[in-house]
Amino acid sequence: MNESSSGLAALVSKLPDPDEQGMLSNIDKQVVENVITEVHKGGRDSIVGLINMLVEPGKGDDVKPRYALHCLAVYVCKLQDPNQQQAFTTALASQLGDNRPKAVQSYVIRQLQVAGGKEVASSLGNLLCDEELCQDAAQALVAIGDGAAEQFRNALPKAAGKCRLTIVQNLGVVRDARSANLLRQFVNDSDRDTKLAAAWALANIADTGSMDTLLKAADTENPYERIKLTQACLVLAEKLLTAGKKNEAAKIYTRLRDTRTDESEKYVRDAAMNALAAIGER
Amino acid sequence: MTKNRIVTRRQFLKSSIGVATAFTIVPRHVLGGEGNTPPSETVGGALIGCGGRGSGTFETMGLSAKLLVSCDVKFLDRADNKTIYTDFRKVLERKDIDVVAIATPPHWHALISIAAMEAGKDVLCEKPMTRFIAEGRAVVEAEKRYNRIFQVGTFGRFGERQKKESILIHKIIKSGLLKKCEAVSIKQGGFKVKEWSGKVNSQPEPIPPNLDWDMYVGPSPMKPYHRHRTGGTHRGYWDYEGGGLSDMGQHYFDPFQWTYAKDDTSPVEIEAYAPPAHPDACGMWGWVELKYADGLTLVFDSGEWGQPYNRKESRGVRLNDLDEESRKKIEAMPDPEPLISFAEAVKTRKRPGGHAEAAHRCATLLHLANIAIRTGRKIRYDPIKEEIIGDQEANRLVNQPMRAPWHL
Repeated sequence: MNESSSGLAALVSKLPDPDEQGMLSNIDKQVVENVITEVHKGGRDSIVGLINMLVEPGKGDDVKPRYALHCLAVYVCKLQDPNQQQAFTTALASQLGDNRPKAVQSYVIRQLQVAGGKEVASSLGNLLCDEELCQDAAQALVAIGDGAAEQFRNALPKAAGKCRLTIVQNLGVVRDARSANLLRQFVNDSDRDTKLAAAWALANIADTGSMDTLLKAADTENPYERIKLTQACLVLAEKLLTAGKKNEAAKIYTRLRDTRTDESEKYVRDAAMNALAAIGER
Repeated sequence: MTKNRIVTRRQFLKSSIGVATAFTIVPRHVLGGEGNTPPSETVGGALIGCGGRGSGTFETMGLSAKLLVSCDVKFLDRADNKTIYTDFRKVLERKDIDVVAIATPPHWHALISIAAMEAGKDVLCEKPMTRFIAEGRAVVEAEKRYNRIFQVGTFGRFGERQKKESILIHKIIKSGLLKKCEAVSIKQGGFKVKEWSGKVNSQPEPIPPNLDWDMYVGPSPMKPYHRHRTGGTHRGYWDYEGGGLSDMGQHYFDPFQWTYAKDDTSPVEIEAYAPPAHPDACGMWGWVELKYADGLTLVFDSGEWGQPYNRKESRGVRLNDLDEESRKKIEAMPDPEPLISFAEAVKTRKRPGGHAEAAHRCATLLHLANIAIRTGRKIRYDPIKEEIIGDQEANRLVNQPMRAPWHL
């Protein structure tokens, strides 16, 4: 172990030990803050050094470096210095890759979710087709916001299975209107979760062009799909109304009013009728 | 030329509920009459989440609901998809279920509540209502969109509504006559901070064969299984709850919120005294101070870590805080309407006392406190936009990403 890593190890060792129940019940705020301040002064070397101490769950004790890395992520946000923050996040992002166990990368990604910005979007985007890391990468991108849509859009054509579902859903979360045409194809997907995610995504994007597609899909006889696709139609109608598209919204409500005639769906019919009345339509 | 008035979604949902009474919205079986049996004999119920609180939550509904279905992710070994389920989505497809009691860990509360209302069911959901703030707003919107009955499982406000002192404070605040509120409400102790802390050194364990771990984790980040992440001790993990503050807070602060007429707003400044938080395990904290725009201060003082809170002393709202003319107006004001129980709300379709907006605002107190603890910095909050101001990273905790296929 060289001098800087032994110095880092010595610093990290000052962090509190878990008690006999495995909890950090005996924790000195000042000690922790002092350690983190000192670790931060070590710059990139400290960050990489901490990540080097991380192990996969079940393969050793990395309680203190884990805690240290997260405290550092929170600390750089507190500094409110974009340069310092980016120095931290780009150092983290540089450690994503095949030479690190997936579980360790997952933890690094979660720190990027805390402190990352657009500067790490492409590093996260590169992981959207990784079965083990796509969910973490997607969540970090959504949290960051800036630059996320482009990453999801670029990854979608290459994605399959869970990754594809994750991307489809999150294009809706970030409300990427540019993806609407692409998403519409998935409303008839053979995978139920993907189908429902695409429908909801189009509703959340307030895509007028998806109105007929969603209404038709919502007529399905499958009970759970009918519930969720009807919800997508109602959400779309609300968002269209907010966008000033009253006629389009009314069309959705009218269709639901006229087609939800079974007693078991009276509440949907009532929701549509209430909405029509609220906008002055009958 | 026609003017298009741009309406926010929130305004629209509010207005559409106002015309709800123009339409028949009473379940058919409530009407009774020929071919229909009275509600006490026909309200079909489902319990989703059958752990320690489960049966108690179902009974709390106060209805003569028949338990038709029990659903829990740990029923893999006994599910028959007739009376015992592991997947709540299958439960919600059933047309004979009218009401749902939700007693899962909190990270599922919002999603299942929303899904149940989307399926036409009324909901009694255990506290805390949510795991993060944006979930609460989504529940409120679903409640209004579908005109369902939603109540969270805490009832202290019903007791406050009976107390003369609380009624007086409620009237004073609600009247708007008090220009600056100097009240300070301090809750000391009882937060179970240590009791509901998480373990920071747990090692992965084999998943029990009867447990659907993927479904248990649901919208939260996937982590290796450890028994401490389930069965009550789940409270110690940010992924599922928010420590003792989340567990107990809604009980303590729902009555406060009613008394101080804060069901439709939230604090604007939040500060915590706590050590740096762990990323996974909820841990120790000292106190949190929350201030409303009108000057009201609420303090959570755990008494379990660090120095006690000593910035301000407890103080109520008094009639003498008002001038004489205002005091007379307060005395002439009628008392607030009685709060409606869940059972009565289901029958009459009137809004229950612990409805979604009130419960959401109460849960928001806990979440803002935990955000201040987790970020280690003072938070400024916009209670109308429901966003943290000037701190994008802290704002990430207001609306947290979910694992697909789950979303708000």
